[in-house]
Amino acid sequence: MAREVIGNGNELAAEAAIDAGARFFSGYPITPSSEVMHVASDLLPEVGGKFIQMEDEIAGICAALGASMSGIKSFTATSGPGISLKAEQIGLGFIAEIPLVIVNVMRGGPSTGLPTRVSQADIGQAQYPTHGDYASITLCAGSLTECYTQTVRAFNLAEKYMSPVFILLDETIGHMHGKAVLPDLEEVEASIVHRATFDGAPADYKPYDVPMNKPAVLNPMFKGYKYHITGLHHGHEGFPTEDAIQCEFNIERLVGKINTVAAENDGLDDLPDYEEYMLDDAEVCIIAYGSIGLGAYEAVNKLREQGIKAGMFRPILLWPSPAKRIAQIGAKFKDKIFITELNMGQYSKEIERIIKRNDFTTLLKANGRPIAPAEMVAKVKEMM
Amino acid sequence: MRSSLRFTGVGGQGVLLAGEIMAACKIENGGNGLKTATYTSQVRGGPTVVDITLDDDEIRYPYANEGEIDFMLSVANVSYNQFKSGVKPGGTIVVDPNLVHPTEEDRKKWIIHEIPIITIAKEEVGNVITQSVVALAITNTMTNVLDKQSLINTMLSKVPEKVHAANKKAYELGEKYAKEAMAK
Repeated sequence: MAREVIGNGNELAAEAAIDAGARFFSGYPITPSSEVMHVASDLLPEVGGKFIQMEDEIAGICAALGASMSGIKSFTATSGPGISLKAEQIGLGFIAEIPLVIVNVMRGGPSTGLPTRVSQADIGQAQYPTHGDYASITLCAGSLTECYTQTVRAFNLAEKYMSPVFILLDETIGHMHGKAVLPDLEEVEASIVHRATFDGAPADYKPYDVPMNKPAVLNPMFKGYKYHITGLHHGHEGFPTEDAIQCEFNIERLVGKINTVAAENDGLDDLPDYEEYMLDDAEVCIIAYGSIGLGAYEAVNKLREQGIKAGMFRPILLWPSPAKRIAQIGAKFKDKIFITELNMGQYSKEIERIIKRNDFTTLLKANGRPIAPAEMVAKVKEMM
Repeated sequence: MRSSLRFTGVGGQGVLLAGEIMAACKIENGGNGLKTATYTSQVRGGPTVVDITLDDDEIRYPYANEGEIDFMLSVANVSYNQFKSGVKPGGTIVVDPNLVHPTEEDRKKWIIHEIPIITIAKEEVGNVITQSVVALAITNTMTNVLDKQSLINTMLSKVPEKVHAANKKAYELGEKYAKEAMAK
């Protein structure tokens, strides 16, 4: 069963967060993400949650991390400049293994850049938002429906892997207003993942005493279990350590619990990591994500009308990337791969890394304007 | 059948809401509608363009395709000049003649109607904010893309009750002026 709603991508992301169980939001308004905050401020009090507009971006993530440490599902929303400010605390989320959903509605950068205009230039930032070694989980919504469904998924992945998770929207998707077909609330509720807890004696509680490639088990606060959460490297009980073997294990586990697990299981959950459209009999593959996938879909249709068998591959889980499928596409389509993105080639580099070639064609734009289907059609025709 | 409409003005004129109302009305009647807005980082006064795509079938790309716009309405010269090229040859453009000044070239290329939208809202309805509803009525009367009563219902559901009467009046006036302009 499904339900139809009308809204914009930012509103749908905020509604999804509440439906996924989020009960805390703290943040600071920034174009083009502010509607996430507006809706959170409307809805959270209605469900017994808390909403705080903080004094700045840094405080915005600090309070959200604190709420999550206590056991409450939390989120914050911002745009690229806000992620830059939040960078250090995102690192705390990684090393202390605090689940947190971070919505980034991308605009033109760097710095203040093009505040009201669309961009996909925070793809690289989402992969490595802060210093040190870790692995990032990043989802990218490519439709109004996905602003909702992928936000729900972001919460589930955050709880499952005990990590900050990015959900990337871009200005186009965040602000476009129309119909979204959403799963019923019962279906959403049935899919919800809660972080694992330790039920043994408080004296035996060692939140970071977990095997390689497994996430920490952080109990909610105020339940009788002692906690010590730090950005320093820490041992089994959470207290600081500089033990060489422990520190090495920590980093290998932080990276492995996401990257190794994703490689071994072909993803982080059972949901689709990409959308494919008309790819089976295609002679040319258009790779696009986020709002650029909307134009790519129409470009495929226009090319087919003109007798060119085009198809589309649209990654949804950007990090860790669906590498196995990308490698297959690389092998199948050879030099008939066309990558189009709103940056100077940030995901093209990932494709190149996976397929170990750079004989693909690109259409890149970084001036704050969308890419029209007609531009893609013209470029693909040049390739054929 | 796909309809591609464009509203242009400057920030703060309320053209965004008119676009949302049209998309919502189409969706409520079982079709698909998308609205996108492009604006500048100026809070007031920057050129704003709203693209509305209506279709019975699925729509993915939310912006108007260059040269495929059926109808454009403009209440600011800066935005008119910047965004008129999207309108298809022979397409219809409505401008507020107190604010927008099309060239003779433009008049050969497109069907241009002049309706003093802001003056109607300000002086005949008595509330300048209703200009977006005057614009809405003109657009629907000229394009006939949505059922009139259903559009009025959607519009009323999005404005506070205390201004329902003023907005109904704005719609009727917009329709009257549009019919007069088309009869010329």
